[in-house]
Amino acid sequence: MTVLLGDPVLEELRQILGPEHVLTGKADRLNRARVPAPFPVHRWAERMPDLVVLPASTEEVAEVLRLANSLRIPVVPRDGGTGLTDGAVPLRGGIVVDVKRINQIKEIDLDNRTCTVGTGINALKLNEVIARHGLIYPDDPASYPCSLVGGRIGTSGWSLIGSRYGHTRDLVLSFDHVLPTGRVIHVGDGIGRKITKSSSGYQLKHLFMGHQGTLGIATEATLKLFPKPEAELSPFWAFEDYDSAYRAVGALARAGVATFAGAVLFDEWKVDYLRRDDEAYIPQPSSVKALVCAAMYGYEDEVRAGGRRLLRIARSLGARYLGDEISEGDWAARHDRYATPLHGRTRSGQVVPMSWHCEDASINYTNLPAVRLAWHEIADRLRRESDVFDDWGMFAYTNGATGADYLTEIDIGIWEQRLDDAAWEAWVRAKRDLAAVTLAHGGSISACHGSCREGEVDLVPVELGGGYDVMLDIKRAIDPNNIMNPGKYLLDQAYAEKS
Amino acid sequence: MKYRYQEEMSPPPPQRVTDVAITRFEHVFEVEPGLMTDHVTQQTFPNWDTLRLVRSRADHLAWMHRHFADKVISGEELLHDLDE
Repeated sequence: MTVLLGDPVLEELRQILGPEHVLTGKADRLNRARVPAPFPVHRWAERMPDLVVLPASTEEVAEVLRLANSLRIPVVPRDGGTGLTDGAVPLRGGIVVDVKRINQIKEIDLDNRTCTVGTGINALKLNEVIARHGLIYPDDPASYPCSLVGGRIGTSGWSLIGSRYGHTRDLVLSFDHVLPTGRVIHVGDGIGRKITKSSSGYQLKHLFMGHQGTLGIATEATLKLFPKPEAELSPFWAFEDYDSAYRAVGALARAGVATFAGAVLFDEWKVDYLRRDDEAYIPQPSSVKALVCAAMYGYEDEVRAGGRRLLRIARSLGARYLGDEISEGDWAARHDRYATPLHGRTRSGQVVPMSWHCEDASINYTNLPAVRLAWHEIADRLRRESDVFDDWGMFAYTNGATGADYLTEIDIGIWEQRLDDAAWEAWVRAKRDLAAVTLAHGGSISACHGSCREGEVDLVPVELGGGYDVMLDIKRAIDPNNIMNPGKYLLDQAYAEKS
Repeated sequence: MKYRYQEEMSPPPPQRVTDVAITRFEHVFEVEPGLMTDHVTQQTFPNWDTLRLVRSRADHLAWMHRHFADKVISGEELLHDLDE
């Protein structure tokens, strides 16, 4: 139920933050409720916050949470708002805490190779500054130009070059975190800001990453930096069948090349989509059924040596190199899905504007082929049911240099203007079925965005088993009044049990 | 250079690439116009604007490469090394 905020609350927030940093206008609130992927947009009004605040420091965030906690007002933290499972979308109204003013670079430590930043900064802006020191913060989500460090912490996000440098959970060394009660703690490995490994106590850093805003708000983070790579190599290869491409991507990931940063497998539905609707348009003959790309970063001499090895492996497994123009162009375009207008097709082939929605899971290499077929059956069913949906194919990204598991993602185009309750119900049913396939194959429902949306969230307790009961205990202990992002991850159950 | 309206507003004749795509300028692909009639209709662009959009995209891609590394290694060159 939406909390109606009376004037005394507004006045108190204005005193804490300054009047210009408390926003009540409809456009201000609407902009902080939207996300790139369609929640039921025909019911957008149900997801509007009552107001938006723009704190500039940890202390101001703490004061806002103290006030909200005392009055039992829902609070939703919002960073870039690019997550695809609604972590930043309010379900119960209340206050949206937009952290974009907490965006300072507070320290660049060249000796320990770290930097400390406000969580409202993003990697792109940070990298523009630290490149002057020959350094890079290599967190590389698809939303790289517009996602923020705080959102990466809140979702424990995936990095496209994570096989080389690690994902957000590895790259964030420590951070200040405001608990729902307003108390400020510092979490990391041990208490140090710049320690990369400690065995002191519980590993709280991981608890406060990926909670989707249900356990508080990260405000200041210390990040691991690397030398900015001298060279990049990003070859794309074509295959005449999926199985060959599948064997090749596994061999590339298992080759143990130190500069290997990632590889991606595109299945034939994805290749069809690239042929007809991708902005980059890859004009491949119909004999091409699957694509694989790899990326390497490092000093030029080591990238050249590693590159020769990967090119040799790919060629031995039937790959055809697509040439420098396509290879370099398409790898550089890996972030464009958040910036280009997307479109799909009706069953008759007519172009329609569509939003991009991806369902992701972590799947072991050996289970990729089976999951792919089962997922496309679900997508085909959706497509048969309604022209609202289009199957944009599947990607699988490597996780580490072992190639053990892959971020596996099916992309569905959704024609937002035609969404209605019936289409939304079909979509939620499909999400539940996609998640069930993941669990049946020993996978995890999400490797990337979290899993707190209708449909997949229903199976989170199944995936976690007894661990989910611990989640409920933790939520109740840390957020006694359920003010932080209420309704997400089915965590209301924690309070039902209590009563 | 003078702007000649008729010249700029008349794109080169389309070449069919596949049943869903055409090309009018080298390396510039467009959705087959017959598939953009019911829900999304094509806009009319002067030729210079089409080419400007393509160049802007190329600038963006080059900038993204520079953002992550100082130089990009040619795969074609490495393949040539393997063949020698």
